Amino acid sequence: MSVSELKERHAAATETVNNLRDRLIQRRLQLLDTDVAKYTAAQGRSPVKFGATDLVCCRTLQGHTGKVHSLDWTLESNRIVSASQDGRLIVWNALTSQKTHAIKLPCAWVMTCAFSPNGQTVACGGLLDSVCSIFSLSSTADKDGTVPVSRMLSGHKGYVSCCRYVPNDDAHLITSSGDQTCVLWDVTTGLKISVFGGEFQSGHTADVLSVSISESNPTRFITGSCDTTARLWDTRDASRAVGTFHGHKGDVNTVKFFPDGHRFGTGSEDGTCRLYDIRTGHQLQVYQPQGDGESLPVTSIAFSASGRLLFAGYANNNTCYVWDTFLGEVVLDLGELQDSHKNRISCLGMSADGSALCTGSWDSNLKIWAFGGHRRVI
Amino acid sequence: MASTSCSVGGEVAGETGLALAKSSLPPPRPKSPPPYPDLYGKRREAARVQMLEREIGFLEGEIKFVEGLQPSSRCCKELSDFVVANSDPMIPAQRKSRRHCRFWKWLCFPCLSVASFCCCCRPECSCHLRKPKCCNSTCCSCVGSKCCNGSCCSNSCCCPKPSCPKCLSCPSCSCFLGCCCSCPDLCCCIPTCFRSCSRPSCLNKKSSCCSCNCKIKWSSCFKCPKLRLCCCFCNCKNTCSNPCCLAF
Repeated sequence: MSVSELKERHAAATETVNNLRDRLIQRRLQLLDTDVAKYTAAQGRSPVKFGATDLVCCRTLQGHTGKVHSLDWTLESNRIVSASQDGRLIVWNALTSQKTHAIKLPCAWVMTCAFSPNGQTVACGGLLDSVCSIFSLSSTADKDGTVPVSRMLSGHKGYVSCCRYVPNDDAHLITSSGDQTCVLWDVTTGLKISVFGGEFQSGHTADVLSVSISESNPTRFITGSCDTTARLWDTRDASRAVGTFHGHKGDVNTVKFFPDGHRFGTGSEDGTCRLYDIRTGHQLQVYQPQGDGESLPVTSIAFSASGRLLFAGYANNNTCYVWDTFLGEVVLDLGELQDSHKNRISCLGMSADGSALCTGSWDSNLKIWAFGGHRRVI
Repeated sequence: MASTSCSVGGEVAGETGLALAKSSLPPPRPKSPPPYPDLYGKRREAARVQMLEREIGFLEGEIKFVEGLQPSSRCCKELSDFVVANSDPMIPAQRKSRRHCRFWKWLCFPCLSVASFCCCCRPECSCHLRKPKCCNSTCCSCVGSKCCNGSCCSNSCCCPKPSCPKCLSCPSCSCFLGCCCSCPDLCCCIPTCFRSCSRPSCLNKKSSCCSCNCKIKWSSCFKCPKLRLCCCFCNCKNTCSNPCCLAF
């Protein structure tokens, strides 16, 4: 077959793909008979109401000298690791605010960090070297804070945007990258196990920005990408995504599994958060701030323990909306509370026990928020 | 097989037995390379077509899958049932949890100067927090720049202060594992220069982006996330006009 014939086939196949995608979108729209807000309103659910002092900032973690880009909790909900533009990873005792480790990174342009399930190692990745580095917290640092890298996961051809350990598995980690792929790594050997996506595999068609791995089924993970889609993957089959979720009009900056493991949330450059069902692919709800102003990109999201609350950080001064996921309304803005951040909130993380939310900001601080009000007996 | 012969002005060079007079031969002129088939491009195009045809198969399968799907109202019901059935420490009105009030552990602050007794010993606390121990000679329990002074935390930093010979990074005065380091001037540079760079100097201490002595060439540019621009990391001006600095 000649090159020109191949090009004709390529054009015809592209048109067929686009037509099929349109048909799929139309068919899915027909199945959307309601959304979460309409359903719960019909059920007579009342909105969540916060008093002025219900959610309070009970810790401010100070120590970074640059923008905080990423954070992660340990499983025991007592320590946090944060990564900052100042080129350091800091490990904090979340209860006492003490710093237990301050690791100076070989490459200062770090974008992501993660705690291993056993809390003994931290991983980070970033821009320049396209490498995910693993540090052992039991290694001794010199007085400059330099800790030897215990493992380097190299192989990506672009920046490492996000890294997450597989739940309950200290030996495996998933990274997402600006090279449009995700990789499952064996941390003990430093080798790739699987590559998800890429030039000749069905996958994202632009930078992958975020990863979230299911706690209840660690073989499943969700990714968000600059190609405006989120995709569901199975670690046992890297040949293609299990599902592709459309709807956003801009980069999907952040993804997070819903606590039940059967749904997930997304936050996007288009200013909306969305809730999708994994098994059906349905878009169950759109969370869009009201107002005539320009949409602010969503930088990060987190769900509360039951999933009733969705915390979303936005790319403006210090806005962090708390959404009632049932009724689709903003019930609180952490940016308006006392002791709130002074700059953009770049990352969020809920502790594993659901008792506290940690926010990281461009003001170089991290803050821990918890419920400080009264609970009435029902 | 491609011809290896070349013609010069219509004549075929290298003909044996032919003596050519110097003055009658035209000067040699290079010919265009023969039109070899672009195998690499063809294979790549074929791979792309194969990928698209596979995608067509996936989409057709997905369309069949969607035909048998439940409507979104069923999913909404499942979600609603899950949320209602699970307690949430962050929600104002809940059933009383029989477990420890998980918030109280966040209320227990480290012991302050006088009220060391105030550290949390309440039964509601899950005993994660105990009165912090103050170390003998190094400060390991103090918040921020406060250091251990006997059994309490004081405002003056009592940690040993090794001088910072090279202000490659810019820690503010704080106790990291007992070492309290203060830089002679508050270097605020991001990031540190490497390769042939010398220590960055802070020309404008107020800006968060210092100029750098790096002479890194454009070929070592990296792609800024999300901006899809190529920028040299060591190109920061005092006012952070580098697009990477603005967005990162």
